[in-house]
Amino acid sequence: MLSISNLSKTYLPDKKEALKGVTLDIEKGEFTALLGQNGAGKTTLINILAGNVLKTEGMVKIGGYSIGSHALETKRIIGIVPQDTGYDFVFSVYEALKKQSGYFGIRHNGEYIDELLESLYLTDKKFSNIRGLSGGMKKRFLIAKALVHRPKILVLDEPTAGVDIEMRHTLYDFLIRLHQSGTTIILTTHYIEEAEKLCDRVVIIDSGRIIADEPKTQLIENFSRKVTVEFQFDFELDSADMAFLNAYNPQIEEKTKLRLRVLKKNLPEVFQLISRRNMEFVDLAIEKPTLEDIYLSIIHR
Amino acid sequence: MEIVFYNKVGFITLLGREIQRFMKVPVQTILGPLISNILYLGIFGGMLRTRQVGIEGVNYLQFLVPGLASMGAIFAAFQNPSFSLISQKFQNTIQDINSYPISNLEKSLAFILGGTFRGVLVGLLTYASTIVFIGFELAHPLLFLISLGATSFLFASFGLIAGLVLDNFERMDFLLSIIITPLAYLGGVFFEISKLPGLLPAIRFINPIYPLVSITRAVYLGIFDGSIYWQIGIAAVMIIGSFLTAVTLFEKGIGIKIR
Ligand SMILES: Nc1ncnc2c1ncn2[C@@H]1O[C@H](COP(=O)(O)OP(=O)(O)OP(=O)(O)O)[C@@H](O)[C@H]1O
Ligand SMILES: [Mg+2]
Repeated sequence: MLSISNLSKTYLPDKKEALKGVTLDIEKGEFTALLGQNGAGKTTLINILAGNVLKTEGMVKIGGYSIGSHALETKRIIGIVPQDTGYDFVFSVYEALKKQSGYFGIRHNGEYIDELLESLYLTDKKFSNIRGLSGGMKKRFLIAKALVHRPKILVLDEPTAGVDIEMRHTLYDFLIRLHQSGTTIILTTHYIEEAEKLCDRVVIIDSGRIIADEPKTQLIENFSRKVTVEFQFDFELDSADMAFLNAYNPQIEEKTKLRLRVLKKNLPEVFQLISRRNMEFVDLAIEKPTLEDIYLSIIHR
Repeated sequence: MEIVFYNKVGFITLLGREIQRFMKVPVQTILGPLISNILYLGIFGGMLRTRQVGIEGVNYLQFLVPGLASMGAIFAAFQNPSFSLISQKFQNTIQDINSYPISNLEKSLAFILGGTFRGVLVGLLTYASTIVFIGFELAHPLLFLISLGATSFLFASFGLIAGLVLDNFERMDFLLSIIITPLAYLGGVFFEISKLPGLLPAIRFINPIYPLVSITRAVYLGIFDGSIYWQIGIAAVMIIGSFLTAVTLFEKGIGIKIR
């Protein structure tokens, strides 16, 4: 569906290298999270797909069409929700979406536009001027605008930044339904829990290079070989007595809590060691890392 | 390569927007230039109406009408695409144009024809408003329309090029007041260039406004001399050249794509 190979971008005037040999293949139907710190190169990558930024090197194909030689065909396949854009304040929401359909060669799109407005909770703003929308409503308008031509791939560049928490969840449901109906989705976000909830593949980009690209479950599984175990005792602990657990980096918290980092396969051994000392615990918690923990540890590697 | 016709509905939508943009604010875009032309005509034309110009049997008012109609068309046609593009850059909506499946040929034509339409409209209305002063006096109506159309097309192409290359309104104002306005004055809008002293008349050979004003005046008055063929030739070369330049700029993404 989307094929990127060895893509590089050096912004001209100050020779800023934003992408350094990115290779990425996205299959039909995938829901991919594109994560990375500020300035990592996410928007640059998306702007190259959109045709707003000219690539320096490499090959990009959208739905099998090269963005260089068959740019026009690629436009019909992809829909982009930009991170940073202005609004044409001359038109109402409905006028703007009708025009947008027209640019894509679609004459009678009223019903579909109504449907989009309905599912993005914008129906009551249909005839409002875009100037009168709130920030979060404008974001939703951008999503509708990116979808009027029913693209096979939807790319969203931080669509939930500045959107209130309830509306964010509404958007998640919308994206999940869109994905279920067959749309391939690429989402960038700084809310990692969003990626964890929605996506089935995680790509992490750092200083213009892809440093992780795995199915979400596998990524979590790989990082879950080590878990955090927390024992709660009903007596105070002394760190000097904990030397027998040194292999597991013991940490005492609130005097009566003991935290260990343990490979899953070593869990039985840890329980044995503790019971051999006759230390009876009153509570136990095992924590798997969240995608956010994993993300942070990858970024800081 | 996008030198093809690809998306007719898209092209018409884009052209429609370019026309709608100025039709929504007719006071600034149509009435404004019309009023200044009428004032000019009323004041100078009235004062100098009996003065004869170099052309046999033509008074200054008759000389002035096609000049003013051309100038109105030139400015209106130039401003439509240049203002449209620069304000899209200003509003940060310019990247939208990259997302449409509309070929560069179609995009160029949509912007240029939008400007042409506004140019012709202002030119015709300028002419219509002069009827009060001197009556209908139009020798070849159809040729007059075609000539205004060609003039507007050329300057809409220039306006498109300016809109792509320039990135703010200050630069566009500078271009209008430092280059286009003097060229209009030295292009035979208000007086005969050949009557100027010294080397100044030579400017007409490098002034794109001169041949177009001359052609429009010739078809308005119905007085042709041998130079009309040269002028038509030069106008045709300029129109084709500027149109191809505009398409090439789109093709290279000048002013709309980040390199
Ligand atoms: N037009 C430009 N000219 C020069 N450098 C640029 C331009 N746009 C981006 N950059 C640089 O390229 C790098 C990548 O920027 P990009 O916008 O792609 O990051 P990002 O991953 O989207 O960040 P964020 O999470 O903040 O949106 C940054 O160092 C940025 O300064
Ligand atoms: Mg970004």
